[in-house]
Amino acid sequence: MMTYVSCFFLGGFILSMIAVACNPSPFYGSFGLVAVAGFGCAVVVGSGGTFLALILVMIYVGAMLVVFVYSAALAADRYPESWGSGGVAGQAVGYLLGVMVASGFFWKEEYGVLWGFGGSVEELAPQRGDIGGVSWMYSLGGPLLVISAGALLLTLFVVFEVTRLLHRGAFR
Amino acid sequence: MNPYVLATLLFSLGLGTTLTFASSHWLLAWMGLEINTLAIIPLMAQHNHPRAIEATTKYFLTQATAAAMLLFASLTNAWLTGQWDIQLMSHPLPTTLASLALALKIGLAPLHTWLPEVLQGLDLPTGLILSTWQKLAPLTLLLQLQPMNSSLLIILGLTSTLIGGWGGLNQTQLRKILAYSSTAHLGWMVLVLQFAPSLTFLTLIIYLTMTFSTFLTFNLNNSTTINTLATSWAKAPVISSLAPLMLLSLGGLPPLTGFMPKWLILQELTKQDLAPAATLAALSALLSLYFYLRLSYAMALTMAPNNLTGTLPWRLLPSQHSLPLAISMTASLSLLPLTPALTALFTL
Repeated sequence: MMTYVSCFFLGGFILSMIAVACNPSPFYGSFGLVAVAGFGCAVVVGSGGTFLALILVMIYVGAMLVVFVYSAALAADRYPESWGSGGVAGQAVGYLLGVMVASGFFWKEEYGVLWGFGGSVEELAPQRGDIGGVSWMYSLGGPLLVISAGALLLTLFVVFEVTRLLHRGAFR
Repeated sequence: MNPYVLATLLFSLGLGTTLTFASSHWLLAWMGLEINTLAIIPLMAQHNHPRAIEATTKYFLTQATAAAMLLFASLTNAWLTGQWDIQLMSHPLPTTLASLALALKIGLAPLHTWLPEVLQGLDLPTGLILSTWQKLAPLTLLLQLQPMNSSLLIILGLTSTLIGGWGGLNQTQLRKILAYSSTAHLGWMVLVLQFAPSLTFLTLIIYLTMTFSTFLTFNLNNSTTINTLATSWAKAPVISSLAPLMLLSLGGLPPLTGFMPKWLILQELTKQDLAPAATLAALSALLSLYFYLRLSYAMALTMAPNNLTGTLPWRLLPSQHSLPLAISMTASLSLLPLTPALTALFTL
């Protein structure tokens, strides 16, 4: 059962990757990105990183809101090209064939577990690999977090400085 | 720009590079590079000209791509080998990926296309920061990598010297010429990187000196095209008589400082039994020499016709400080006799 589910997630990941890569209108492209993010996080959950997947989903949802706003505000087409229109569908078929050729080239019969998060992935274990990593980060990585917070503060200043003053900032 | 903001940005610019210098951990090194990139962005966009904003956007996109690639490489390295140390990269895949990401960051040849476009959109002092200080952190990381694939760095170096020479040939814009010259010099540095890292370091220092004096000279003349260089003799006669020597030093002619790194690198390549690569690099230096010669021809070997009042600006006191230019110009013209001392000084 788990194999079928993870096969579905991996296949959906690749298909939605193709949906982004075949160059539709920005709106549909960002929809494809949402699908990529969802399937990717599902793959991460399937291989044991529940907490990591949760964090990723939250960050992706926030970023996707911004991307949707951007593509709605800046790149709204009158006649948007979805995946059905000629060039996009052609590229999609091309990428699909490329994926098939590549997977046929790298196909191996023996199949092993590619990844796991923190070694032991037991069901319902209180100490998972990713949560352990978070606790390590907060206990030992204090200076690192200070530098990260400093970099984020710097980013805030940079954004303020670039967009400052409506009549002469970068957004006019 | 508000002086407090400017101070914060300059401090962060220094902090990012220092953080990358001081770190042996990939995550911290990546963080330093990101701080560096972020801190220079408002400085690049400070004049709010559309061209400057465009250059800033291009710079941000390239550097963000390179930083993401570097982070991916270091994560892959941590996943495959279980450690984050910069000097202990032992798997070829992340090492190659990190080398390519750093090549994109400093503008080496197949990945150099952003550099002329970005530099052309900036004013000369910001361009000076971009082509000197911003190269330091990625190059130190590149110096610390243990190269797995020896042909990768040679290919990067040779294409950089060739394209750096070729691209500058038909340019009339000084900043684009300087960008291509930067690509060519970085190509020389990368070419010798795996054989003698101390030579890379020496070449970097000498390139920084020479390009510092070039940018300051052009800034003193307030010129961004070859045409405006032609009236330089009326503005600053001494500088315009020294500038051809400086440009030829950048091109690498013998009695000047710029000959030293090329000489030592060619010797090292010959010692490593790489005579074809050495020949190709030496020939591509001729391409660069052509456009340096064209610059010096326009600047000092011709006297552009001018009216009487146009010949007088040398009487006015210059508004810029010329001491840094004097020091770097002296260093970039006459350090060749100190070659043994310098090679001993910059031994890594």
